[in-house]
Amino acid sequence: MINFEEELKKFHPSLEVEDAEEAIYNQDLTDAADLLVKMIKETEEKEKK
Amino acid sequence: MFCYNCGCQLSEHGFCTACGADVSLYKKIIAMSNRFYNDGLEKAGVRDLTGAINSLRQSLKFNKNNIEARNLLGLVYFETGEVVAALSEWVISKNMRPEKNIADDYINMLQSNASRLDAINQTIKKYNQALVYCNQDSKDLAMIQLKKVLSLNPKFIRAHQLLALLYMDSEQWDKAERELRKCMDIDRNNTQTLRYLKEVEMQLAPDENSKQPRRKKDDAVRYQSDNEIIIQPLNVKEQKSAGISSLINIAIGLVIGLAVMYFLVVPAAVSNANNEAQKTITDIGNQLDTKTSRIQELETQMEALQTENDTLNQELQGYVGTDGTLQTIDSLLAAATTYLETQDITQTAANLESISSSVDVDNTSEAFQKLYKTLLGLIGPQLSTQYYETGYNAYRSEDYATAIENLSKAVIYDETNKDAWLSLGNAYRKSDDAQNAIAAYDKIIELFPDTETARSAQRYRSQLAENTNTAQ
Repeated sequence: MINFEEELKKFHPSLEVEDAEEAIYNQDLTDAADLLVKMIKETEEKEKK
Repeated sequence: MFCYNCGCQLSEHGFCTACGADVSLYKKIIAMSNRFYNDGLEKAGVRDLTGAINSLRQSLKFNKNNIEARNLLGLVYFETGEVVAALSEWVISKNMRPEKNIADDYINMLQSNASRLDAINQTIKKYNQALVYCNQDSKDLAMIQLKKVLSLNPKFIRAHQLLALLYMDSEQWDKAERELRKCMDIDRNNTQTLRYLKEVEMQLAPDENSKQPRRKKDDAVRYQSDNEIIIQPLNVKEQKSAGISSLINIAIGLVIGLAVMYFLVVPAAVSNANNEAQKTITDIGNQLDTKTSRIQELETQMEALQTENDTLNQELQGYVGTDGTLQTIDSLLAAATTYLETQDITQTAANLESISSSVDVDNTSEAFQKLYKTLLGLIGPQLSTQYYETGYNAYRSEDYATAIENLSKAVIYDETNKDAWLSLGNAYRKSDDAQNAIAAYDKIIELFPDTETARSAQRYRSQLAENTNTAQ
């Protein structure tokens, strides 16, 4: 049986157009490729030392 | 595919031919991103938008520069009504690849039509307001807002779901199912939609334990017309005696209708008519009372004016002679004419006495008074002398009544005639009228002080006063 109050908590306010800019700036764009490159560079630096 | 280290085009080898960097792992990451993109594309193709969103987000987690995946993610967001999320993805995509990017078209599509963008924003605001209403337990208002939202943006999945949830809460299972079906038409594999739908179908399914099972599907035809589901029952047989019973029912209905008319409607109408008539009568009565009192007031005024008119007429009659002219003026003019023509002071005096006896000279006009006093001034001293002589002779012959009458006239016509005053006082004294005698003596003392006459008057007055005190 679905509980209305509990289900209601799953709904969140939608972003308005005025908030789009802030949402774009706050988006975390780090991807796996970035992590790989970072790891490789760190490894190379350690080897140099 | 380009080398992450130097940016050169990569070959089929596991290293960069330009800088020698190991790109095998990097290539696998890019391949995973592409695989998720393909998966997302496939799911979007069969309208599994939730699955597509998950795959495309995974794709971007592996490679944020996967422009196709990002553009497609924006498109899928747009399809589910999440316009701001879609716009965000397209803006990032355009930022990463400014040239030859289809995201540019999508953004232009939205930005070129300001009214559409405004409508989208209004939709979002209304959805948020509906959510606030839900939290405030104003579910009816929330439903109204959500219906407005969906009329502007029919693909807004979350609004459909929230509306369905509200319908479910108010046990309007049919309507909830309809909303959820619309969700399914847009996004076929949304977990939340499926969960709600399962609940709704469970409520709508025939209850096996119920003593009165629901009507079988075969018993009715269900079809949808606009927003309404119409359920038309089948195999409902009309009874044979339905015609006769219908006629009887109509007849009974007519009888009841007539009875209602007779017992309820007619008395009410009569009562209303009586009330109206009574009200009219009351109004007329009030108007009559007002007018009666006004008439009485006017009658009173009329009586007062009539009385005043009579008084004035009577007063006027005193002034007006037989020929209609004012008698007093006529008498005054006659007196003046007589004096001027004949110098007959006796006749002039008679006319003036007639005037003074019929009218108060002090209340007449200024011209009248002036003429009257002029005449009196001209004849006064002579008349006074005449009356004095007559009065004095009467006094000498001890006829005090005649003496008083003539001497009184003598002092009237000439107030400075001190002999007349003294004789008048003596005549009063001799006729035992002490009061008038004292008054005459006082007048002498006042008018002619320090004279022999005044001293005589004082002496007589003292004697009279003494005698009066002795008598008392």
